[in-house]
Amino acid sequence: MKLSLKDVPGSLLRALEPVSIHGGNILSVLHSRGEKELVSVQISFKIKDQLALDLIKKDLKKQNIRVSEILLEGKRYYSKKTLSFILIGHVIDTDIRNTVDRINEIGLVSDIDVVMPSPEKKSSVMMNIDFDDKRIKKLNKIINEICKEKKFLLIRSLEG
Amino acid sequence: MKLKIVKLTIIGFGGIGKGVAKVLLKKKGFIKRNYGVDLNISAICEIDGSIIDENGIDLKETLELAENKKLKKHKNWSSIIALDVIKKIKSDIVLELTPSDIKSGQPGLKHIKESLKRGMHVVTSNKAPLALKFSELQEIAKSNRVKLKYEATVAGALPIINLRKHALQINKIESIHGILNGTSNYVLTKMAEEGVSMDAALKEAQEVGIAEADPGYDIKGIDTGAKVAILANSLMNMKVSFNDIEITGIEDITPEAIELAKKHNCVIKLIGDVNRLEVSPRLIPVNHPLNVSGALNAVMIHADIAKNITIVGHGAGGIETASSLFSDILDVLS
Repeated sequence: MKLSLKDVPGSLLRALEPVSIHGGNILSVLHSRGEKELVSVQISFKIKDQLALDLIKKDLKKQNIRVSEILLEGKRYYSKKTLSFILIGHVIDTDIRNTVDRINEIGLVSDIDVVMPSPEKKSSVMMNIDFDDKRIKKLNKIINEICKEKKFLLIRSLEG
Repeated sequence: MKLKIVKLTIIGFGGIGKGVAKVLLKKKGFIKRNYGVDLNISAICEIDGSIIDENGIDLKETLELAENKKLKKHKNWSSIIALDVIKKIKSDIVLELTPSDIKSGQPGLKHIKESLKRGMHVVTSNKAPLALKFSELQEIAKSNRVKLKYEATVAGALPIINLRKHALQINKIESIHGILNGTSNYVLTKMAEEGVSMDAALKEAQEVGIAEADPGYDIKGIDTGAKVAILANSLMNMKVSFNDIEITGIEDITPEAIELAKKHNCVIKLIGDVNRLEVSPRLIPVNHPLNVSGALNAVMIHADIAKNITIVGHGAGGIETASSLFSDILDVLS
């Protein structure tokens, strides 16, 4: 976990406390003190589950400590969200592979449910997409572009 | 308590106008006792003429004639049109209840403007003038020191604008989502519950009197769009017009899409999204507060202090809409 701390006495200790309170086993702490007011700190630790990580993040936020990046088992960790929507149109005939690939550039299509009454009729396709919360605008943009280009009616979820 | 006589002019004596007259007959005594005002109808205007009696029109007799389509047989009937009645009769409040024409806003727009300029308060159920010219009408009302009230323009009987004014004063409204059109909700409910096509659901809606002969205004989302424009102006201080609302109706929703939503524990509803200035069909979970059935309307407001508030009720009907109109009338007089 990479943090930005204020260069004042006790700030490192305050940043480590939530990790130990929520059962984290600290493996290493890299502390690079520079000229700036903020100090970059990299903490490596083991935790038992996702909930513990969420609680640590919450406590750090409470203390106004900024988490700049989290790497989980070497991969960038992000707040995962799922977006659901239905497309109505000739979704299969307009190259569904292309539709999925373009969405997968931003998120991950994790579920597809297709209803195709007959080849000449419009099909209805429900998709679930897992994505990084921060990329919602980009995701909506690409979905809107696809719908406009392929003449789909988009039925977004209320949160989408 | 000293009784104050308040003169009203009714413009438009269709379903809502007659609803106001019926409710007034029923509640006149209640209003006198509780608010100290005697509401008298000085004029009733229809498209081709008016009934004028400055001492107060006999509502029972007038309603009977109107129900039998014999309004012209009224002893005080004349061919004076509404705009001339506004110029001739000085009422305290003008009730503008004519049907909405979202392209021009007429004839409601000229009725409202003329009434305000002549120093008369206006209470209206007519969406189009406000959806098109909200700021301009508010300015005219302000400069003439009169009130323009429009609770009945959005979701019939549901108190949304007055709820904000009287009960959510310190709140900042952060989002508003609503099912604001009974016809489209009835059609989508029928499709989901009975697996019928949109045409069959629409036909049934027409047979039970929920949908108009030409339901395009409802199904294409135009009616909802007008309401979104009014809510954006009145509750979220956006300076927008109906033409700024992006509208997608429900006309292309297929029974297969409805079934697909159902399979995933969702329903499809036509939602007015005020933040986004958008009307579109949206997927909502079956247990969501906005999942109301039949011709009901529902509005979910998210405010910074009160958080989520959802109100559900009748979005149309002459009697039900009169509830909002009388709320505005009493508010004007308070």
